[in-house]
Amino acid sequence: MFSFRRVLFLAAGLASLVGAKSSTGNSVLVVVEPKRQDDFSIFYDGLRDQGYELTFRAPKDESPPVIEYDEAKFAHVVILASETKNFAKDITPQSLISLLDLETNLILGLSTKQTPLASLAPEFSLILPPPGTPLISYFPKREESPSLIPITPSKYDATEILNKDLPPVWFSGVPHAFGNNPLLVPILHAPAESFASEVDGGSADALVDAAEKGGEGLWAGSQLGIVTGFQALNGARVTWLGGVDLLTDELAQREVSNGVKSGNAQFARNVAAWTFKESLVLRIDKIEHHLVNATGPNEVYTTNDQLVYSIYISKYDPQKATWEPYSGIKDLQLEFTMLDPHIRSSLPPVPGAPGKYSTTFRAPDRHGVFKFVVDWKRKGWTYLHSSTTVPVVPPRHDGYPRFLSAAWPYYAGAISTSMAFFLFSAIWLAGEVQHGNKRAGKAGKTE
Amino acid sequence: MLSLIPVFLLALSAHASLLAVQSPRYTVTGAKGSEVQAEPVSLAQKPSSPVALHGKETLKLTFQIVDKETGKGVQPHQTFLRFYDEKTNEEGIQPVRVTPGGKAKFELNLSKPPLSLPPTPDRDPLKVTLFIGSSVYDPLSVELFDLILPASQPAPAHPQELTFHPLPEIKHTFRPENKQPPRLISAVSVGIVFAPWVVLLGLWSQVAPRPSHLFSPSILPFILSLGAFETLLFRYWIGLKLGQVLLYGAILAIPTIFTGKQALSSIANHRLGRK
Repeated sequence: MFSFRRVLFLAAGLASLVGAKSSTGNSVLVVVEPKRQDDFSIFYDGLRDQGYELTFRAPKDESPPVIEYDEAKFAHVVILASETKNFAKDITPQSLISLLDLETNLILGLSTKQTPLASLAPEFSLILPPPGTPLISYFPKREESPSLIPITPSKYDATEILNKDLPPVWFSGVPHAFGNNPLLVPILHAPAESFASEVDGGSADALVDAAEKGGEGLWAGSQLGIVTGFQALNGARVTWLGGVDLLTDELAQREVSNGVKSGNAQFARNVAAWTFKESLVLRIDKIEHHLVNATGPNEVYTTNDQLVYSIYISKYDPQKATWEPYSGIKDLQLEFTMLDPHIRSSLPPVPGAPGKYSTTFRAPDRHGVFKFVVDWKRKGWTYLHSSTTVPVVPPRHDGYPRFLSAAWPYYAGAISTSMAFFLFSAIWLAGEVQHGNKRAGKAGKTE
Repeated sequence: MLSLIPVFLLALSAHASLLAVQSPRYTVTGAKGSEVQAEPVSLAQKPSSPVALHGKETLKLTFQIVDKETGKGVQPHQTFLRFYDEKTNEEGIQPVRVTPGGKAKFELNLSKPPLSLPPTPDRDPLKVTLFIGSSVYDPLSVELFDLILPASQPAPAHPQELTFHPLPEIKHTFRPENKQPPRLISAVSVGIVFAPWVVLLGLWSQVAPRPSHLFSPSILPFILSLGAFETLLFRYWIGLKLGQVLLYGAILAIPTIFTGKQALSSIANHRLGRK
């Protein structure tokens, strides 16, 4: 009985190992209105294929809670109920922020309605248009409504997150302007010809008036985002969808042109892979520092020492669910900092040593408490930060250069004195008798 | 909802017809109202030379939007001018006011530029495109001309934005190495320091006694132990630590005391002629 249970446990553990394709966990909570739950089956199937376990919850259900005993219950939360104005008590903008603090990844849907999520978006530096103004575009000429837009990803979109040669993606929803925030990761921009407006009854004059009111009066052009990621400083990822229709089965199966299916299904997988920390996930395995030609680290370094600093970086491989050494970072930099960086040099990958980045430099001729700092932040990628404190001291009393040519005369003087003393002593001790006889004779005369 | 709209639009698109832009023309006027440049814009072919604005000049663009079939003026929903910097991917969209008769007039006054204009710190040419969109007509997009604006401030960047790009390298400026005098001077000085030996040895050869008792068993151990002390101090200078020197010195002191006592007492005996 006992052994059978153990086998069961082992099997379960193995299954979760094989299934876990995210670097942080595979439990996903999907908050969706029950009547729309079936609209997203392709999206769910894509997640299940990746090994995620989905749990569904209506926005007003009390259970399962997202946070229990101050622990996040799920590794990832998807809120597809983008038009819901009243959520259960535990889904509030504040609780979503707490989830981020607990490193839970979120996919949040926006809509033209004024919802709690819409009021949370400005906290992420997304500036939404007024309620009731979806993104519309009359370009290109097509049979669909102007508010259902095929968008072809351009080179300014997140090319590292999205598949190359992704077919156009159908979009219907609201755009957002970006605030000045470097943590934002724009994934998909609006087309240049599109703008936010009321679909019916929007007048041309209203658009001109809106633009004249000020800089943010008109939401138009390719500077707007429609799907935007945000990576918090603790590494938690949030993706804001301008409209959840993007993920529906209807748009995933709709053709963009004759015989070409839309890229929605692939796009949804790409976005989920990024948000759930499958792609562009790095970590620092270890760091090393030592003197040139030494192997072990020193507790203390001396000014002007030649130091070697190495860092080992791995990238998460979602196919195998393992961490693989990664040498693909070309612009890693090392700072040697005491209050300000005294030295900032590039940290190139070491050829032949996968995942190892190393550099050699001369410690500054200033003593103090220094830090080796690697702080690599790039849009979309995990932020890498490492800081190691080492004291740099002046040379010890016997650590200075010796036998300087300038001091030769002084050495000669000291050695000369010593030799003279020794020679005098030897002669005085050994040759005393002869003199002693003479003196004795003199003494005898005086006597 | 979504599925209804296409049907509705399909019905519309059957009637959809074409729009045309008539008599587009731009004028550049100086600060005092004097006309600097005025030309009609060719819609078929984008002019090769860009339009340049300097100082406080004003660019005025006029055109009329008409139904291509009936020739009647139309006010479309979307009449936007797009100013796009291909180098920086900065873009500004400026809606143009169109009268119900289809007449459109756009003024770009550089003394109070609209906020939507993209920043042009390097005076890169901006591509000016006209978008006309309407639910009834086919969309129309016309590239008008390139526009060169006076240099402006660059777009404000977040202070943290810098850390998302490679930062400039920093090299530490080291203090210069200490300078040594030429070795020749040091060597000559060593010669000067040793010079008294010549005098000393010269004089000593005249008056010094012969060390006849050097190998006497009472004297030699003391001389050797003195020599050992000198060697120990020399080794201290080369590389021994103080603790080692004290230890070895203490060990060496014991035989030195005895040999010294013996040597001095034997010399005393010699001097007093007791032997």
